[in-house]
Amino acid sequence: MSQRWSIALFALVMALFPVLPGIPPFWMVLLDNIGLAALVALGLVLLTGVGGLTSFGQAAFCGFGAYTTAVLTTSFGLSPWLTLPASLLVTGLLAVVLGLITVRLSGHYLPLGTIAWGLSVYYLFSKLEFLGRNDGISGIPPISIGSLKMMSAGSIYYVIWSAVLISSLLTLNLLDSRLGRAIRALRRGHLAAEAFGVQTARAKLLVFIYAAILAGLSGWLYAHFLRAVNPTPFGAQAGIEYLFIAVVGGAGYVWGAVLGSGIVVILQEILKSEMFSALGEGQLEIVVFGVLLVVLLQAAPGGVWPRVAAFWPFERRSDKLPAGERLAARPKVDIAGKMLLEVQGARKQFGGVVAVNDVSFKISPRQIVALIGPNGAGKSTTFNLITGVLAATSGKISMLGRPIIGLPPQEIVRRGIARTFQHVKLVPDMTVLENVAIGTHLRGHAGAIASMLRLDRRDEARLLAEAARQIKRVGLEGQMYQLAGNLALGQQRIVEIARALCADPILLLLDEPAAGLRHNEKQQLAALLRQLKHEGMSILLVEHDMGFVMNLAEQIVVLDFGTKIAEGAPSEIKSNPDVVRAYLGVAA
Amino acid sequence: MNRIVFAAAAVFALLPLSARAGDEGKEIVIGITLSTTGPAAALGIPERNALDFVPKEIGGVKLKVIALDDGGDPTNATNNARRFVTEANADIIMGSSVTPPTIAVSTVANEAGVPHFGLAPMPFTAARLKWSVDLPQPIPVVGKVLYDHMKKNGVKTVGFIGYSDSYGDLWMNDLKAQAAAMGIQIVADERYARPDTSVTGQVLKLVAANPDAILVGASGTAAALPQVELRERGYKGPIYQSHGAASMDFIRIAGNAAEGVFIAAGPVMAPEGQDDQSLTKKPGLALDTAYETKYGPNSRSQFAAHSYDAFEILKRVLPIALKHASPGTPEFREAIRKALLSEKEIAASQGVYNFTEQDRSGVDERSRILLTVKNGKYQVVK
Amino acid sequence: MNTTILLLLAQDGVTNGAIYALLGFGLVLVFAVTRVILIPQGEFITFGALTYAALASGKLPGTAELACALGFVAFCVEMFSIRHQFTTGRLVRATALYILAPALALVLAQFACRGTSSATINIALSLMIVGPIGLYLYRIAYQPIAHASVLVLLIASVGVHLALQGLALLFFGAEGMRAPTITDVAASIGPLRVTGQTLAVYIVAASLIVALWLFFGHTVYGKALRATAVNRIGARLVGIRTVLSGQIAFMLAAGIGAISGILIVPMTTIYYDSGFLIGLKGFIAAIVGGLASYPLTAAAAVAVGIVEAFSSFYASNFKEVIVFALIVPVLLARSLSAPIMEEEKD
Repeated sequence: MSQRWSIALFALVMALFPVLPGIPPFWMVLLDNIGLAALVALGLVLLTGVGGLTSFGQAAFCGFGAYTTAVLTTSFGLSPWLTLPASLLVTGLLAVVLGLITVRLSGHYLPLGTIAWGLSVYYLFSKLEFLGRNDGISGIPPISIGSLKMMSAGSIYYVIWSAVLISSLLTLNLLDSRLGRAIRALRRGHLAAEAFGVQTARAKLLVFIYAAILAGLSGWLYAHFLRAVNPTPFGAQAGIEYLFIAVVGGAGYVWGAVLGSGIVVILQEILKSEMFSALGEGQLEIVVFGVLLVVLLQAAPGGVWPRVAAFWPFERRSDKLPAGERLAARPKVDIAGKMLLEVQGARKQFGGVVAVNDVSFKISPRQIVALIGPNGAGKSTTFNLITGVLAATSGKISMLGRPIIGLPPQEIVRRGIARTFQHVKLVPDMTVLENVAIGTHLRGHAGAIASMLRLDRRDEARLLAEAARQIKRVGLEGQMYQLAGNLALGQQRIVEIARALCADPILLLLDEPAAGLRHNEKQQLAALLRQLKHEGMSILLVEHDMGFVMNLAEQIVVLDFGTKIAEGAPSEIKSNPDVVRAYLGVAA
Repeated sequence: MNRIVFAAAAVFALLPLSARAGDEGKEIVIGITLSTTGPAAALGIPERNALDFVPKEIGGVKLKVIALDDGGDPTNATNNARRFVTEANADIIMGSSVTPPTIAVSTVANEAGVPHFGLAPMPFTAARLKWSVDLPQPIPVVGKVLYDHMKKNGVKTVGFIGYSDSYGDLWMNDLKAQAAAMGIQIVADERYARPDTSVTGQVLKLVAANPDAILVGASGTAAALPQVELRERGYKGPIYQSHGAASMDFIRIAGNAAEGVFIAAGPVMAPEGQDDQSLTKKPGLALDTAYETKYGPNSRSQFAAHSYDAFEILKRVLPIALKHASPGTPEFREAIRKALLSEKEIAASQGVYNFTEQDRSGVDERSRILLTVKNGKYQVVK
Repeated sequence: MNTTILLLLAQDGVTNGAIYALLGFGLVLVFAVTRVILIPQGEFITFGALTYAALASGKLPGTAELACALGFVAFCVEMFSIRHQFTTGRLVRATALYILAPALALVLAQFACRGTSSATINIALSLMIVGPIGLYLYRIAYQPIAHASVLVLLIASVGVHLALQGLALLFFGAEGMRAPTITDVAASIGPLRVTGQTLAVYIVAASLIVALWLFFGHTVYGKALRATAVNRIGARLVGIRTVLSGQIAFMLAAGIGAISGILIVPMTTIYYDSGFLIGLKGFIAAIVGGLASYPLTAAAAVAVGIVEAFSSFYASNFKEVIVFALIVPVLLARSLSAPIMEEEKD
């Protein structure tokens, strides 16, 4: 059964549920609550599970959505349908403001930041006169279609679950797109994504706003479901609860949000009705709930959804190669006679330590240059200076005569320099194809809305076809649909090369591409690199395998303690006494 | 193995929810949602405890009482109320313990047409007038006894310190409305939260403003925090406390600082000294005796009295309603609503109730007394 | 506003700040060793405070029985997990740690609340009861998922927090407790009155900061504990017992929480749920300190206390809004000044 059919079946079951005979009416109330929580948790799946931004503040966005419609319907008599866009707009705008601050917070500052503004907003709700202070606003009209007023839990059910299903589909579509891959790469750190042109701050802001709008939608529904709002449900406790719903369900999975809210809401309800005892003071229900939460996490630390999905009869995606038109190649510039890359006196100091000490070298078109040197010689730092990850302390770096120093990584890859990483930076739970397709990021154009509505399919097909072509080119077509994390380390390095090739570069920077490869794999890699050179590509590589380097490179630059100690053809380098000393120690 | 465990867990999870239908019969179902956990647990727990002492049947019909916790959260309270309405087919809904969830319960009850007994102060709007009544004494009724005492003792300026929540707001608004009209000037409005560990800043400001008297708008033992701090910081004037604070726990926490406080209370705090013809004496004594037998000496609680009194009222109205219709029907609920209006002078431990279409609290000056603390004991101020 | 009020507010802020600092230390300590953000730290305050208050008023605190129950569960978990490498030595150690220690505390507590025991005994007993609870919790709740992500550990913390708070309500009721002051000594410095109680707060906070700083910065074992957090496998390879360090960290944190509770309960009423809010302030301080630096945590804690004191004087109704809104720019400044580094997660 394909995923699409599963969703259709799920939708059908949910649609028929209320009309099944013998369904207690209270189940409708519970299902409505599950749906409301699932919407917020869905946003958290994207924000926290996929994007890696832990937020405790989602309840505040529910509050924005709920209060907007409460004020507009009660004070201005607007119809709920008119306030829906208003609620989403207000939530979205406030999310932009809070998001601009929040996505700039790093590490643990971010979750605390969300707690801080979440609580401020909550307390503010209870202080503002026009929001009814602590008592809130009541008398909110129900949603109505024609003369049908959705007063009962059974009627608003359809609105809530339509919202859940549509949001889930849109989210799935978003994740399965050019932008989605960029978002999924965020959690693994910024470097890899930025090296292929992803504006990470903007991508984070995007998911932040998206999650906020889903919470705002939930808030709007909540207001018309309860027909009264007050600050209590938008406080810290609620914010924490949404987060644990997402984690219990499986923070990385869209359907984990729905499952998680189902588990939590039903569990709480059962405990409440079964555990209300006259046990002196206090209640056991909350104790049992806390214990069960811990047990659940111990049994399924990755969430319950992946466990359930394991025995779902999902069909693996077809193994046929993605087909699509060829992407337009980089316009040919006349590079004859120009230096492709020129590094002049590049210097990088970290405090008092000079990591790269006034290094200069050049790369001509169609040339393979190797950067060698003992550990800590500054090779990777030089790479980072060229690719804009680090800002040089002084010196000049230019490409085809134009300075590129000081440009952000996204701009440098746009100019045609693509790289791989010494420590492989793939997203382990994405397939090889998807990982490689991140390399095509700058060659596609579809935005978030187009992706959610599947208007991006032509663009997407082209990108995937290009990714498949590059995978084939590096000889990994057999592993195309495997998860990148399941590959051997050597193969992962090759995947990184394919990803870099997807950016259609004119200069390829490879950081230890042959590490972890077997002998014949190295031969194949060398052949591939020669072939690339033949097709007009220049390559700068860092490598420890001297045999590999000496056979491949035309020019070798040797660094030691950040300083260039030699430069020349392999034969010259082999006999250079400084190089020998650097490698074998002074005694040699 | 895993598969079986998961399936079993799922079935087990859903069982209790499905085994609920078909509870109707010849019994009156009463749904009560209380905040027995969460920030309002100090109110919800005695309210639940009092349920041990309410009648098991009225007018020959068994009462089925379903009590659920809402943790003070209006969303939970709404769920509970909807559960009572849909699943339990309740004829009466009670709760909750604090204002926001009480409003939420009232909303459900009024939409469903089920009589609702609020157990926390609640603002009434047109949409809530028909089916809700509210048992706690409204703040203006209780406040009057405090302001009168201030006036009599020559208080010209008053400082306020209260909760930064609904309860504090209710008191501040009433102080503005009533005391200002009596010529008492409000010179400070300070707020704190129940779990705060320090009110030094607020108290320093109050002491600096040096009012003739200070009113504390807080409930439970947290009302003792400013009481202690004010005395420690050398405030000598009279301190007035709301009826939310009157309990033995207040003296336990405030210790010596409680001496001489003026504290409003419902009559249930001192039924022993009441005149024999006072209507609140008998129910008050009955509840206090039963409660203190089970929960220890001096454990009497005004919050317990609210849920107890709801049943005192039911003792009067249910027999009448039962004459007109049978339980579980809309007609029965309508009959309860009518009986609540027609019955007069309903005696309960906290007051004498006379509900009308507009006055949904239905209590008068018989619902409040003024206490002071002397040698660690409450005394009635005559 | 005059100088007297200024000084009094500052004093109030510093006193509260010192308590927040203590909690912040506990959080930094636990995070540094186990990557757990210890939300239940607040409950350790409550447990410590209320256990002490109950003992002082001659009641047997429910936490003493809880320690026994948790010890028993921890014992079972331990026996189950070592069933393949079972040795008598391990059995003896587990029995002593998980069964006998809490049982001893329970028996002593029963004796203590029968007669009138001195404050010192009550303090020692409270620590004997609450400290091991921390250890058992680590064994039961966290040790089996020690390798999980920070997020999963955080949510497990939420579960533990909910359970403990529910138990606190069960044991101690909703109406809160206050304990008698440990000492009635007081001195006046100008307009300020420094009681023995506040002095004790300052001294304990100051000595703990020094002790922790010395322990983690200057002892081999302290450095080893920190290494555990950075790299569990690496730490194990060089012979650090990661499980043991986690248990010790939790016991220390619970002890610190209990001490904070004992210090604060004579000064204010502590409710079953007071801990969460106090803990949250400590959490703020710990995060501003980057979950790593003790002096920075202390400074941030005192700053939070002072901001609180002054905002409760100037705009008490907006105190929380002010305190929490002020944190955001601080976090932003800390983020922007922090060195850019690749965050590797999972």
